[in-house]
Amino acid sequence: MEYILTIVVLIAIFVILSSSYNLVIGYGGLATVAHPIFYALGAYTSALLGIHFGLPAAICVLAGALVAVVASILLALSALRVAGDYLLIASLGFQLGLLQVIKNFEFTGGPGGISAIPNTITGPWRTPAYLLICGGIAALTVWLIARIVHGPYGRAITAMRDEELAFSALGRNAMTIKVVVFAIGCGIAGIAGGLYAFYFQYVSPDQFEVLHSAAMLTMVVLGGMGTTMGPVVGAVVLIAIPQAITFLNLPPAVMAPMQGIIFTTLVMLFLFLRPAGLVGPLSRDRMAGRTALEKSSGGVAE
Amino acid sequence: MTVVLRVHKLRKAFGGIVVADDVNIEIAKGEILGLIGPNGAGKTSLFNLVSGVLKPDTGHIYLNGVRIDGLPLYRRARSGIARTWQNMMLFTTMTVMENLLIAPRSYPGESIFKVTLARDRVRRAEREARLRATQILDRVGLAHAADAMVTDLPFGHQKLIGLSRALMNDGELLLLDEPMAGVEGAAYETMQRVVRQEADAGRAVCVVEHNVSFIKDLCTRAVFMSNGRILQAGTVDELLASKALTDLYFGV
Repeated sequence: MEYILTIVVLIAIFVILSSSYNLVIGYGGLATVAHPIFYALGAYTSALLGIHFGLPAAICVLAGALVAVVASILLALSALRVAGDYLLIASLGFQLGLLQVIKNFEFTGGPGGISAIPNTITGPWRTPAYLLICGGIAALTVWLIARIVHGPYGRAITAMRDEELAFSALGRNAMTIKVVVFAIGCGIAGIAGGLYAFYFQYVSPDQFEVLHSAAMLTMVVLGGMGTTMGPVVGAVVLIAIPQAITFLNLPPAVMAPMQGIIFTTLVMLFLFLRPAGLVGPLSRDRMAGRTALEKSSGGVAE
Repeated sequence: MTVVLRVHKLRKAFGGIVVADDVNIEIAKGEILGLIGPNGAGKTSLFNLVSGVLKPDTGHIYLNGVRIDGLPLYRRARSGIARTWQNMMLFTTMTVMENLLIAPRSYPGESIFKVTLARDRVRRAEREARLRATQILDRVGLAHAADAMVTDLPFGHQKLIGLSRALMNDGELLLLDEPMAGVEGAAYETMQRVVRQEADAGRAVCVVEHNVSFIKDLCTRAVFMSNGRILQAGTVDELLASKALTDLYFGV
């Protein structure tokens, strides 16, 4: 039971990660692969503050998010000032470089990472309590992102993603929106990092490798990029499936490459068969629009 | 006569290619100025220089007497320059109404602080924009398509949406880049009528257009450009009477 609850906590953390990644890459159209490093910044900041200063966990997590926000603004300002496309390269450099720094500093624990992060909740209710906290924050994240991407602000994000030049020429400040969307997404990833650190009480650099952005991207694509619930579905499916397979008692030689095979197969299947993802509302919206048009005009296309 | 746009000794070159060479233009309130010339003459580049997509090498641009050539693209739109694009550049994943709602000069909804902390102001701006958008769609005869995806509209209607979106900006200057390319029938009439109405309401309008009859019908004055230079300015008839220019234009 404890094991399954732990998986659910992990799912909640990945819902936070994939939803925030979706805000940046799916809604904002900002191509970045640095999401794991902002996750790491949150995790390491809260771990270090918890160990060395004994601050309350909530303060540590918020501080971690703040560090992620500041770092993301610095990255966005330098990369986006040149041109949008540079963000991908800059984020890759930032991700790889900063992780090397983390691996090589003594106070971050080097390649071995940090263990003995203070236990904030003890007793038999520890995991259920974390489940409640992480699940609550995951729900809050999904709600907050839904609030951001709908209404006037969301319309601005969508328009910017669709046609940035036209958007700017209408008087809209695309740069500010990009920086804000990027900072919000990365800050939320920082919160996920803090939750991870305090629940598992152990962080190591290989949890934040650049490859993990591929896992997050898989969740987003499979669930439905640019949809509110897509990343939630994606995170649940892609964490539950590999875990479920461990119950099959397959030999280690088969088990080891299993996860990679599943992720790759799923991405390829979805790209070909259902590019809109499991949730995929884009096509639904379009159909709704077409029906509305036909109804009101009796076939406008003369 | 109130001068809305004044372009003074504007120059812009990309390496050896000069797209604006000592360009001087004035457009008055209520006037529709035609901008004609062969492909590659620098007409769209001039629009890009005025609206702020491109920065001039030298020269000045004044809007209502205020220098604007140092302002970034989005600030120029806010200062009152509305423009359309040759290839429309509509927001393709959005409905017709959404395309228009995003386009007023002031849009408090683009600030995360105002969206969170000044919700009344954002809501009021939304209401006003919706009202204005509905009126504009009525004028172009596309009110029924408000909730359709722009990509589901026929080409001529998409062109009209491009114009409508620009009209959400209530500024003094309207730049139209080939509004008639590919447009015919009822949409053509609508386009002509609305552009005329905008000028009558006091806007300064500048039209880049290859459709000579459209220019002839609407513009009192036109400018002929070639290789980044203004070769001649005058009435449309004067320009069309000049054999040298028509040879250049039609490539005889």
